[in-house]
Parts: sequence; C-alpha cells; structure tokens
Amino acid sequence: MKSWHRYTITLVGGLAVGLGAAWWMTGSGLSSGAIVNGPWTTSLGYGTKATDPVTRAAVARAGLLALPAKETVYWSAKTDAAGGPLDGNCRYRLSGTPLDARWWSVTIYDEAGYLVANPAKIWSVNGANVALDARGEWRVTIAPTKPAEGAWLPGAKGQPFHLTLRMYNPGKGFRADPKKAALPQIVKEGC
Amino acid sequence: MRNWLGPLAFGLLVAVATGYAAIAAIPYGLMNVAVDRLGQGGINRMAYGNLATPERQPVVRPSPDLAYSTCPYDLSAGPLAVDVTPVPGRYSSLSIFDAATDVIFVRNDVEAGGKPYRIVLARGGQAVPKGAEVVRTNYDRGIALIRLLLKDPAEIGALDAARRQSSCATVTKLK
Repeated sequence: MKSWHRYTITLVGGLAVGLGAAWWMTGSGLSSGAIVNGPWTTSLGYGTKATDPVTRAAVARAGLLALPAKETVYWSAKTDAAGGPLDGNCRYRLSGTPLDARWWSVTIYDEAGYLVANPAKIWSVNGANVALDARGEWRVTIAPTKPAEGAWLPGAKGQPFHLTLRMYNPGKGFRADPKKAALPQIVKEGC
Repeated sequence: MRNWLGPLAFGLLVAVATGYAAIAAIPYGLMNVAVDRLGQGGINRMAYGNLATPERQPVVRPSPDLAYSTCPYDLSAGPLAVDVTPVPGRYSSLSIFDAATDVIFVRNDVEAGGKPYRIVLARGGQAVPKGAEVVRTNYDRGIALIRLLLKDPAEIGALDAARRQSSCATVTKLK
C-alpha cells in the first residue's frame, strides 16, 4: 500500500469520526442541561450568548428558537418517577399543583421532538384547561386509550415518548431554586 | 505498522478539526434551514402560521398551545421594522434570533405595557429612522418570532385578526 493510500483512508476516517462525534455530542437534547428535578431536566442557559458551542448546537437541534429562562423555562422528561423510559404503550399519571409561572403547559413529543398524530388531536395540557380537585391538584392520564374520566394526553402505541414542560414567566421563588420547585409527577400505573 | 503512525495522527487531527467545525456550524445550518422553511411566504414579511400539528412542524418541538407568527429576515437590503400589537390579557412575546441562533431581543406583553411598539433591527452602521428603538445585530439573517398563547386551539379563530395587526417590513423611509 502506498503512503498516500494510508493518508486517504485516515482522512476519510477522520472526517467520518469528526462528523459522527459532533452529531453525537449535540444529540443529547435538552436533557444535557445542568439542572435536574426528579425526572425533569433543564438548563437555564438556553437562548443566551453565554452558552458554549456544544450546548448551543444541542439547543439548535432540540429546541431551535427557544426563549431565555426569564421568559420561559423548558423542562424535559424522558423517564417516569421510577427512572423507567416513557413508553407509549403504558398508562401514566401526570399530576401536580399549579406551577409557579404565569402560564404552563406539558406537551408530548416523540423521541426526536415532534408531535405524533392521534385521533383526538390532543398534544398538550396547560394551566388553563386542567381542573383542580379539592386538594388543589390537577391530574392527567397519559395512555394510548382514553381514560374513563379525567383529562387525557394520548400516548402513541408502540413508541417511546418525551414530555416538555414549559413555564412562561416563571415566578421569582421558582427562579431562586429551580431544583427544589414542585414540578409535576410522572407515575407509571400499568402497561 | 509504523507506516500507519503518521496517517493515524493525521486522521486524528482531521477528526478533531472536523468535530469542532461541525459543532460550530450546526446552529448556522439549522437556522438557515428554518429561515428557508418559514420564509416560503417571503422574506421580511410576517407569516401568520397555522397551529402546529403532526403535519405542520416547521421547527423541532413546536408548541400546540402557541400561535406563532414568524418574520424570517434578511437585512442586506436595509434594516427591518417589526411592529407588534399585544393581544389584551394574553401572554405574547416578540423574540428576535440571529443567524447563530442567539436571542438578541425579547419583550413580552407585560413588559410592553400591553401597548403596540416598533423595533428596528439593523446591522452595525446601517442608517435607522430617528427616534426609533433600535436593536443591532452582527448578522444579516435570522428570525423574528411572535408567540401568542392560546387556552385552547379553537381560540385561534377569534384571535387571528388580532395577531395579524403585528407585522414586519424592510425600512424604506428614514425621515
């Protein structure tokens, strides 16, 4: 083998490894953030110039046009309270108290961050359309089929899902310590 | 095997350089794609997009609770004026993103006092109208985005006229 053959092989290999590494390093999405609260993760650095190149590229891939934290905090969950991956075949209870923000919503996406078709055409729940019970809690069922009662967020059969919690204009108390904020619980009830 | 030492070191350098370059280029590339996708109604004009559905998702993680109005811009022909009219009693915000995906301006309805306002977006050195509120940017291209929150998707019918009061256009008069 001639010397330039070897250089050509390693050039092609180097390009492939470099591109692959760049894609891999920026593919962990919004969950590569520094703040963890139960199954939810976020970074308060989104949408600011301070973010490093890897975070910026990851945000561009996972949440292009995202707002900075003062305006909106984006939490991402890929697992339930027990740490198991969110599975569209299973039934989950998503519940909590009203969040410390001017407005909040929870949206269901596929693993790549896109909406998946469902007959009910429901992809999110928000602070204005969930009912509070006597204890001041709201509760939503995530499942492939409509529950007998209560609010429903349809899961897609046969595929995993991710949740994004958006908090618009989060309160001062929240921003002081996002790690300790009361966020919705995601509890698996069955499959 | 010794014949491979040079080529392998070279390949490693290529990998590191390619990785850095690719990571640096990803935001610009994705923003370009977004400008092109959202700009099919034209550059430097506001498009009042339909609500996100599985069939219509121009960017990743669209919120089905938001009515997005987008103004993909290109300042090469001059500064851009963005006119925003908040909808009473609703969260809405204007955010302006540059070609590097950085947010260079954000204002919500409360910060605007619920009143209409105009922002002029310009490159450094571009002449702007006197007295205008100016935001300077280092890039020609990007996206100005207005989010309007809906309690229910059905509300869009009643709120569509209100959101169409916001617009954007290239500044032609400097008066």
